[in-house]
Amino acid sequence: MQEALPCAATDAWLCLDWVGDHTDEIGAALRQHVELTVVAVVIGMLISAPLSLVAWRHKRAGAAILSVTGILYTIPSIALFGLLIPFSGLTFQTAEIALVGYTLLVIIRNVLAGLEGVPDDVRESARGMGLTPTQQLLRVEIPLALPTIFAGIRSATVTTIGLVTITSLITLGGLGNLILDGLRRDFRTPLVVGSVLSLALAVVADLLLVGLQRLLTPWARGAAAG
Amino acid sequence: MTFWRDVFAWFTTSANWQGVDGIPRRLWEHVALSGSAVLIAVVLALPLALVLGHLGRGGFLAVNVTNVGRAVPSFAILVIAQQITRDIGTKPAMIALVALAIPPILTNTYVGMRAVDEELRESARGMGMTGRQVLTQVEAPLAAPVIMAGIRTAAVQVVATATLAALIAGGGLGRFIIDGFAQQDNVKAFGGAVLVALLAVVTELTLGFVQRRVTPGGRVEERPVVAEVGPAGGVAALPARAVQAVLPARP
Amino acid sequence: MSRNHGTKLAALLAALAVVLTACGGDSGDAKDKTSTKSASAGNAKDKKIVVGAANFAENQILAHMYAKVLTKAGFKTKVQTGDLTRETLSTALQAGDIHLTPEYVGTDTEYWNKEINGAKAKALASSDVKKSAAALRKLLAAKGLVAYEPSPAADQNAFAVTKKTAAKHKLAKMSDLGKVASQLTLGGPAECPKRPFCQPGLQKTYGAKFKEFKALDAGGPLTINALTAGKIDVGLVFSSDGSVAAKGLVVLADDKKLQTADNIIPVLRKDVDSAELKAALNALSAKLTTKALQSLNKAVTVDKKDPDEVAEAWLKKNGLL
Repeated sequence: MQEALPCAATDAWLCLDWVGDHTDEIGAALRQHVELTVVAVVIGMLISAPLSLVAWRHKRAGAAILSVTGILYTIPSIALFGLLIPFSGLTFQTAEIALVGYTLLVIIRNVLAGLEGVPDDVRESARGMGLTPTQQLLRVEIPLALPTIFAGIRSATVTTIGLVTITSLITLGGLGNLILDGLRRDFRTPLVVGSVLSLALAVVADLLLVGLQRLLTPWARGAAAG
Repeated sequence: MTFWRDVFAWFTTSANWQGVDGIPRRLWEHVALSGSAVLIAVVLALPLALVLGHLGRGGFLAVNVTNVGRAVPSFAILVIAQQITRDIGTKPAMIALVALAIPPILTNTYVGMRAVDEELRESARGMGMTGRQVLTQVEAPLAAPVIMAGIRTAAVQVVATATLAALIAGGGLGRFIIDGFAQQDNVKAFGGAVLVALLAVVTELTLGFVQRRVTPGGRVEERPVVAEVGPAGGVAALPARAVQAVLPARP
Repeated sequence: MSRNHGTKLAALLAALAVVLTACGGDSGDAKDKTSTKSASAGNAKDKKIVVGAANFAENQILAHMYAKVLTKAGFKTKVQTGDLTRETLSTALQAGDIHLTPEYVGTDTEYWNKEINGAKAKALASSDVKKSAAALRKLLAAKGLVAYEPSPAADQNAFAVTKKTAAKHKLAKMSDLGKVASQLTLGGPAECPKRPFCQPGLQKTYGAKFKEFKALDAGGPLTINALTAGKIDVGLVFSSDGSVAAKGLVVLADDKKLQTADNIIPVLRKDVDSAELKAALNALSAKLTTKALQSLNKAVTVDKKDPDEVAEAWLKKNGLL
């Protein structure tokens, strides 16, 4: 029998030898976490795009969309899982339906805010140049709204990364599995590793999105954008 | 279809409305835990942020505490609180919930105070008001809508995370969901989920109403400019008018 | 101002979405019902056997052991862990999401008894292993499940208190709880209030009605820590838990025999049953002892070793790998 890991039997917050022995498990958790997040945010963007356009063009429909996505956003995630499980089971899809739902309000709200923030004189010159409303949207308004839209995507991404940890309660989990393991086994190391990596993942994702934003909005580089 | 019948039965069985594991008791536990946590957070964060906002100091901290706070999963904070206190139930849950509630209150209060028009501040001082008077009679009332938005954000987040307290032997409505999962009782889990969802929505709407009441002109902006936030970057340039600051981080 | 940025972005996102949704669909692998339901009798070894483990150390160790001896026998295996309870596992077993799980004779018998014959069904399990196992097999047959040979190793629910509590209320056996339970708090897994050998059983057999119940974990560190810290008075522990004595806890004797013979027994779907599977698992079951379980459990719960490693080491030591 091996020697008892001296570190693990103590109350240490981080046993590096445990980390070293479990890089596979940690890596798998990280990969699952990234996967759950990316799928949710991308699908969220795809659904938010048409919904935002509808909301932009039709104020009343827009109010309804914001209300519904707003209510969805307010429902605590574990509760939303509880509402979905009898219908879609303990599956990847259940988790994703909920995770996607949470991205909608933030993204749609920000798309609308971004479009609204386009200066009137810019809109007028676009009209003056003979652009159709759709061309105006695609070539002028959306590009100008990108910083605000990106703010929404960033917010949605960071939020999703946090929520994915809760999917550990419905047998998925990503880094949440390490956190749950820490609770169940009274073992601080996986708890710390899971928490720190979640935080790091959120920071990295945010940085990547900021980078992407700068790539797509070269004209905004001079401004005070974060 | 039997599922819906079972859910209806769960809600209408009188046994489920009595005793330690009854709906009223669990609801009360949830509200009490959440309410106390928000109250404590307000007591801790509000005065500090009002002063910081008034003086224009500590902005980097005040704003980024929420940026960082949102990036740490609330689930992690709960388990860490349990480990730090080596305890279960209300105490670690309360610590975690207060920790979660402070950032939005701190940030919004600071941001709201800073957003007050500099000219207003100057004319108030010009009229002979002391610093404290400027804070209480000019800045705070003007910042009230944004402050209220922060408290509302904190409250909804706390109500949601309090659901997870059931994992560390806490009470509250989360008990129905967590126990339902463990006992493979989908009806109980669903019932609990409905109750939690309703409580969260009621909290959001009630505090939204309060927010509207403290807003001069009575209307909360429907489409405010959302400040650019993220753990990697601080808040971008703020508009001079009231900003509905960061949305709640979902737990 | 770039004219095409809006469209470029849209195209990029669409491509990403297509790729990732395709990936996303695959990762539901363990839960994918269609891949595990094929009932072909031949080529029994082509099918991947999914071994389900409940959410406590011992069961996870056993599940890994099952998987390893089966892998040695030429089967493809996978261990499914998670925050799973008997109830969740039974659903998964019947649905074909898992094929095999380590169970406990007496408790499982009563579980299926209530499932099939109703909540008021007469108890079929007892402290007689052979009789209980026979009753279990009969119940399982109705669900398309089979059970192999029970092991000499057993692990049943036990209730422990601190030495201090035992002294204060003069507790030595479970019957002593009847009078004082109304002053005490019980701690156990969330399923305890619904389990016949847990809270309901305590009330029925010992007349113990507790002041309060706290849902913690299945005989794990939350329960044990809560006991030693005085947050609960009586806690459910497992009789094969190696750390109980070490933590200064006293297990109350089950004088009215509420707990039944809870010997370890493999429970599996009929459609994965085969002579080779049976031989491999029975050989393992025969070699397991309660004492072995205690030291294995301690290695995992106290020394924080992985159930996987611990299982492997023990199997190698006992010539099963």
